[in-house]
Amino acid sequence: MKTQPTDIEIAIDWLVRLQRPTVSPADWLAFDTWLSASEHHAQAYDAALTLDLQLACYEPGITQAAPLPSRPMDMSVGKKTWRWPVMGAAVASLLIGASLIWQTQVHIAPEAAYATAIGAHKTVILSDGSHIDLNTASRLTVDFDRTRRQVRMKDAEAYFDVAKDPRRPFIIEAGHSQIQVVGTAFDVKNRDGQLVVYVERGIVDVQPLPSMGSKHYRLRPGQALAYDQRTGLINVSLAENGEASSWRTGRLIYRDQPLSVVVADLNRQFDRPIRLGDAQTGKVRLSGVLIVDTQTAMVKRLSALLPLKSSDKGDGIVLTTR
Amino acid sequence: MKSQSLMQTYAEKRDNLVRTFAARLRSMSEAEDLIQDLFFKIERLENQEVGENPSALLFQMANHLMLDRLRSQKRAAARDAVWLQGNITSSQGQILADEPSAEAALAARQQLAALIQRVDELPPKVAQAFRLHKLEGRSQAETAEVMSISQSTVEKHISAALKRLIQARN
Repeated sequence: MKTQPTDIEIAIDWLVRLQRPTVSPADWLAFDTWLSASEHHAQAYDAALTLDLQLACYEPGITQAAPLPSRPMDMSVGKKTWRWPVMGAAVASLLIGASLIWQTQVHIAPEAAYATAIGAHKTVILSDGSHIDLNTASRLTVDFDRTRRQVRMKDAEAYFDVAKDPRRPFIIEAGHSQIQVVGTAFDVKNRDGQLVVYVERGIVDVQPLPSMGSKHYRLRPGQALAYDQRTGLINVSLAENGEASSWRTGRLIYRDQPLSVVVADLNRQFDRPIRLGDAQTGKVRLSGVLIVDTQTAMVKRLSALLPLKSSDKGDGIVLTTR
Repeated sequence: MKSQSLMQTYAEKRDNLVRTFAARLRSMSEAEDLIQDLFFKIERLENQEVGENPSALLFQMANHLMLDRLRSQKRAAARDAVWLQGNITSSQGQILADEPSAEAALAARQQLAALIQRVDELPPKVAQAFRLHKLEGRSQAETAEVMSISQSTVEKHISAALKRLIQARN
């Protein structure tokens, strides 16, 4: 005698049926009816779907044969980026509405890419209510599912104000480093082989190297961790409140930083490149606050603060020591 | 019925549509993207009369959008191939950027590799159908052709394989 099929078995039959070359509206209606009939059905189906999606990306070489080949993501002001911010808000509000009215259990947020051009800032509001302020010339991707909230950033700086959700940790991958939080506000800078994490509120776990296993640095408000990917040096210190995220109010704050770092920051603000006349110039150190306004004004102030002279070449500005 | 109700239906059915098209596209992010497009489409349908089965209509609209995409994707695939060959070193990061979504997390990957080993324990025909369709990305029809069996048999094999694998995992 055959036993009753379990939810998971029925779910798998549905999944396979949905992967037929053609699926009719009647199939969809029947599937939707089954899926909506019980929370257990939805859970069973999600488990089957998760397995299938895992299989779909089992090996990079194999996924190419999948129906939708992967393609390079256009991070520039291309067709993919323009509509996300608009859509994010629209869909987020729709989802909130949906959860209030229909008690929808699943909030599957889309994977989205956000980027800023040189000199631009952008605030992104995510579907969970978290905010990301993106500094100039930054790019990151956001990928939420029911178990976690994942952000990947390469060359970027961003301030995160993360909504609390103990069931879904908020994980940031910056190069090889991983930063994990539950709900907090902090700044992450991942530039030129340097990772700096500054915590404003809450607790942030940072794992600079994957080889650390499950070990991590636990940062509390006011603490900053700096990790140099080239030397491997990790330094945890107390930072001035708000200093790391001063860029959000249009200021750059430096404490004994080499000019090479300052110039790299300026080149993320303006299209016209600033170059260092020689290696020696790059080693001049700066402590102070630079207000971000026009490039000409900033170079002028910099030349007043430090023994520098600037010369205007056709394709950029060159700084040398006086 | 006004499009108000189409929008309401969308809100109600959105997650289930994503689930459906995630299975069809075998990608959560592609499915999300598709169902977002559907949102814009019905937004433009404001004040238009819709039939008495908005749920079926939504599914059909999503299906059309998917087919449109697959067609343009095929054309784009040739361009992508050239692009990938030309830029593979300088643009590694960009290629990685479109990695399949969260489900491909690192730990899951290892677990999955172990799971796939267990395909060997399946009956030979079931294992073959599973490998061709799920791991080598052939369609059900192609799998049927390669194995000289009917499509419905392929479907049964795939179902059986998935059931065994999901059991093995739990």
